[in-house]
Amino acid sequence: MDSEEDMLDAHDMESGEDDFYSGGTDDCNDSDDGEPDYGFVEEDADDSAMIASHRSQKNFCALREEDIRRHQMDDIERVSVVLSITEVEASILLRHFHWSVGRVHDEWFADEERVRKTVGILESPVVPPSDDSELTCGICFDSYPPEKIASVSCGHPFCTTCWTGYITTTINDGPGCLMLRCPDPSCLAAVGHDMVDKLASEEDKEKYNRYFLRSYIEDNRKMKWCPAPGCDYAIDFVAGSGNYDVSCLCSFSFCWNCTEEAHRPVDCSTVSKWILKNSAESENMNWILANSKPCPRCKRPIEKNQGCMHMTCTPPCKYEFCWLCLGAWMDHGERTGGFYACNRYEVAKQEGQYDETERRREMAKNSLERYTHYYERWASNQTSRQKAMADLQQAQTQNLEKLSDKQCTPESQLKFILEAWLQIIECRRVLKWTYAYGYYLPDHEHAKRQFFEYLQGEAESGLERLHQCVEKDLAQFLNAEGPSKDFNDFRTKLAGLTSVTKNYFENLVKALENGLADVDSHAACSSKSTSSKSTACSSKTRGKGKGSSRTGGSSRNPDDNL
Amino acid sequence: MANSNLPRRIIKETQRLLSEPAPGISASPSEDNMRYFNVMILGPSQSPYEGGVFKLELFLPEEYPMAAPKVRFLTKIYHPNIDKLGRICLDILKDKWSPALQIRTVLLSIQALLSAPNPDDPLSENIAKHWKSNEAEAVETAKEWTRLYASGA
Repeated sequence: MDSEEDMLDAHDMESGEDDFYSGGTDDCNDSDDGEPDYGFVEEDADDSAMIASHRSQKNFCALREEDIRRHQMDDIERVSVVLSITEVEASILLRHFHWSVGRVHDEWFADEERVRKTVGILESPVVPPSDDSELTCGICFDSYPPEKIASVSCGHPFCTTCWTGYITTTINDGPGCLMLRCPDPSCLAAVGHDMVDKLASEEDKEKYNRYFLRSYIEDNRKMKWCPAPGCDYAIDFVAGSGNYDVSCLCSFSFCWNCTEEAHRPVDCSTVSKWILKNSAESENMNWILANSKPCPRCKRPIEKNQGCMHMTCTPPCKYEFCWLCLGAWMDHGERTGGFYACNRYEVAKQEGQYDETERRREMAKNSLERYTHYYERWASNQTSRQKAMADLQQAQTQNLEKLSDKQCTPESQLKFILEAWLQIIECRRVLKWTYAYGYYLPDHEHAKRQFFEYLQGEAESGLERLHQCVEKDLAQFLNAEGPSKDFNDFRTKLAGLTSVTKNYFENLVKALENGLADVDSHAACSSKSTSSKSTACSSKTRGKGKGSSRTGGSSRNPDDNL
Repeated sequence: MANSNLPRRIIKETQRLLSEPAPGISASPSEDNMRYFNVMILGPSQSPYEGGVFKLELFLPEEYPMAAPKVRFLTKIYHPNIDKLGRICLDILKDKWSPALQIRTVLLSIQALLSAPNPDDPLSENIAKHWKSNEAEAVETAKEWTRLYASGA
């Protein structure tokens, strides 16, 4: 089975994947309950509907808070055992190396001494323990008996009150507190969570622990929070498959790469342009565009309100970069023209590379009308999709049971309705993003545009028929007095529409994913095929560009894969 | 007045600043606000600021020593790391602040900055540009400004 197909294939994945979650609860099934078991026999699994992010080879795993804590503790324990260091030291190390156990091991065994030094876990104190009955705190300068004095691995003595003040201040400054060092300005010794546990207030401990947990996701290259509002789950992602769509336990599907909602077949940069464009209409975004630049590493917007071009992002990022060219500060020096006038920037500016934002705004003004056209369709498909999700929910919770009673049909025989809804939800999503795609498709590429609009049109009208059928036609059977002899016809019609629509969208997705490449050699096809019958269209377009006309939706040209 | 419950650390620091001042530096608290210091730094020898007396103000915020003191030049000075409002580009006054640093260490750092201007990390772009393109001339301007603005103290 080729990869495009896998992705449009909820069945295999759900049945195979289900036990993955079974350690916990069933809540991943709450919202898309229909999926796990509706692979009923007379339908080939291939033809059933799904939500696109489900694939047969899942390369991600959703984590609840307790899972995150468990993973985090496991990693800490593992490092602690392997390196024979305390868990506090292990967690400092892991945090420093972005929670990559492999990296910690590599670095540690390559040069333990250097790692200890940079991370700040000293083997022996720089200030030897003293036998004096009184010690002077390095912050408040008062003298204290040893039991009122605390220090980390370096031994620099500070009184517990000053430690508390120091820790409190840093915790309230944000997640940078996870990288806390000894207050002595020349000392690099790290302050771990044991000190926080001992010295901070309950409230601050709570905050620190939150940051600690968040760090495990946010500083970790293979973890991300689910971006759905109010969702506290995270996704653990295994890179390498090339497919970025993931779905959370909360049922939200998003793109791992850009964390926008799942947007296959449109690529991340188009989506990001489109989303920026959508919000560019607001004053807020205009202000951000005009007055800030995103940190080149962590992408948080930064406002430069004074000072030199040498920027240091706030912790935990702390990236140092040049405000003008956004390059790493490390690369700057004499040869880039010093620090006040960055040569790269000057050169690039002359080449017109830095007018992007300006140009985009200018264009937006001129083409507001065109934009509105695409935006309205994008937004209405979004609304429509949400409505369909609600309808699916209702079908699952109420209508199916009612229908089963009315039509004297077992519920297991009514799965085709859920499939139709799932297909609609997926298609609305794809269709929605094709409008963003269409907006950015260059006007001068006539053939591509025509072909694209043709595919989009076919897909859209197929989807409208399907949506109407499940919305309107179903109602009459739902409100009927008793079993209707037309119900079987309805079943055939709906299942047929589902399958046809699925084909249209597969074609659309494929065509967009290969950049409408088929059009280059066979530009004429697009206009010609407008007249073709809709049922024939799927095979026709599939064969297009390959010089052969394949029959049947299941045959695949092996070349189609890439 | 806030003076009544001034932390012991500030009192100690003040006493020490007054009893054993660092060479070329004087700092005395204002009479009505013990957190506000009038500071004078002598231009270090062998720097373009030699012979000048530079006035600064230093204020210890409520959070001190957990937060850095706020320091600013009152005397006009031609220096790539100091802007025309007297603000100073110095890491220990910002992200590198540590509560184990003191007023004394801050002022010593500022004095060192006068000896070693750092045009590679400038606050005042024009001055830094000048410094990088023609150091001799920039140093002359700095000397000139020292004579003009920092000699009459």
